[in-house]
Amino acid sequence: MAAYADPRKVFGAAVAEAAEKNPAIVVLSADSGGSSGHGEFKKQHPDRYFEFGIMEQGVVGIASGLAAAGRVPVFCAIAPFVTSRPFEMFRNDVGYMRQNVKIVGRNSGISYSDLGPTHHSLEDFAIIRMIPGVTVIAPQDPGEIASAVHAMFEHEGPVYMRIGNDPIPELFESGKFVIGKSRILREGSDVTIISTGTLTGIAIESADLLASRGISVRLAAMPTVYPPDREMVIESARATGRIVTLEEHYTIGGLGTIVQEVTAEEFPVRVRKLGLPHTYVSSGPYRELLAYYGLDAAGVAASAEEFVGQTQASNH
Amino acid sequence: MADRDVIAALELTAARCRRGVVRMVRSGGAGHMGGAMSCIDIVTALYFHTLDIDPRDPKKPDRDRFILSAGHKCLAQYAVLAERGYFDPSLLDTYGKLNTKLPGHPDMHKLPGIEANTGALGHGLSISAGMALGLRDTHPTARVFAVMGDGELPEGSNWEAVSAASFHHLDKLTVFVDCNGLQISGRTCDVMNMEPIAERFASFGWAVREIDGNDMTQIIGVLDNLPLETGRPSAVIARTVKGRGLSFAENQAVYHYWKPAEEELSLAERELDEAIRVREAM
Repeated sequence: MAAYADPRKVFGAAVAEAAEKNPAIVVLSADSGGSSGHGEFKKQHPDRYFEFGIMEQGVVGIASGLAAAGRVPVFCAIAPFVTSRPFEMFRNDVGYMRQNVKIVGRNSGISYSDLGPTHHSLEDFAIIRMIPGVTVIAPQDPGEIASAVHAMFEHEGPVYMRIGNDPIPELFESGKFVIGKSRILREGSDVTIISTGTLTGIAIESADLLASRGISVRLAAMPTVYPPDREMVIESARATGRIVTLEEHYTIGGLGTIVQEVTAEEFPVRVRKLGLPHTYVSSGPYRELLAYYGLDAAGVAASAEEFVGQTQASNH
Repeated sequence: MADRDVIAALELTAARCRRGVVRMVRSGGAGHMGGAMSCIDIVTALYFHTLDIDPRDPKKPDRDRFILSAGHKCLAQYAVLAERGYFDPSLLDTYGKLNTKLPGHPDMHKLPGIEANTGALGHGLSISAGMALGLRDTHPTARVFAVMGDGELPEGSNWEAVSAASFHHLDKLTVFVDCNGLQISGRTCDVMNMEPIAERFASFGWAVREIDGNDMTQIIGVLDNLPLETGRPSAVIARTVKGRGLSFAENQAVYHYWKPAEEELSLAERELDEAIRVREAM
């Protein structure tokens, strides 16, 4: 049984560690710092921890000003409140001004499953990747969140990182996070599943189910959503001739669409996009809600199996 | 009390900068003239009297910062930066042309002296507050000055920044609200009345002064006495005249964005040339 960890605590601890080495790092809070794992940082560095209360538009603008003054601000709060709400500040003050600001959406996707669509972020990949020059990352396990935090600070420029809320299992051996690079978790010949963020654990489980049904899955974990690892996508298209994408995001605009953009230009293959339907999704316990939308291992395996069967039939 | 010669010199410089605004409008065929003319005395005083800056080293880390929150008034800042030596004034003749370094809203990556990419209203004050907060420990002498328009005051994000600047005691931050009282649709008090502006800032914990923002003596009077109160950000409610300096344009909302016919453009040039000549002769 893999060890599980709270992504927010892992994130906060990694920020504190990075801040020990880099005195320019400052933490911003919109009444959100404690829930973002910054409790220890606040105690250790009260002079580098700035509280503003609930005013995310202002905080993103202030982050831009801090960056202009040579600081490296990191601002973490509930994902929709750092993306869709202050979008114009993200676009103009951070993106257009090319500021070295790190914005982190936690409790992303439907992880605030019971709180309903106001607290879901199912369009954040889509809207933030439209801002030129912003790197979008969605690390997938505790070790990767920690290494992604360090990579985020080493990268000069705006970054949007997205993490969940539910405890997540260790999936990989920890190593250096390289922005833009994917992990090939296993080779296979029938279909590639490309996943990102919170659902990569589900992708691995579903590949096991599919293997037991005689379907050989190539598994690609893609923690940098934008700019995409084009090489990996093209290799996957060549290797398996069909791709399933899996993300805790609408099936339009995010990882699935990005993979389609690459394949359509470089090596056209059929792509089945798994994620949330483009609607105001329902509410309930997180794992049950994922399963309701076919985003548990059984649901993903069933979709992938049907897709493989369907595309084999159409190829004859 | 500032020296009369200092005031006279600044007034002459402001007259030359007004001429620069019209020079750009001739180049581009149109521009946001009205608000540029209402705030240009303040912008001139800042760059020629107050700001600790070096046009030859525009990025020096401990410099004072100027943020034009009302980015559409950039004709004023461009004219002042050119006059102050940030770039060759011939660049003003590229306004409105393809790939100009002087876009209709300022771009910090194109032109030295620009600190923020403003234009969307309600952004500049947050950026300014962040700068003041960021500089406080690392460059404690550096000050941050912002110019806002009264028309942008209804943007809610401003009041987030107003709260934060007060809560964090950013007394190196000074905001001029260029209250020319007019916006595209008409009188600001009819479109969305934000009066009493001074009381609003005061109620958020700012130190406030109200001045005639086209009177150089009053502008210098406030600039030489900052912060207005230790521990508080300063708000200067500057009552100004939109289109100031052009007889036909003063106090008329229609000159917010000016697309002049040749006759009116020539008249503007003659009036401003004359204003410079009169001041040079003083």
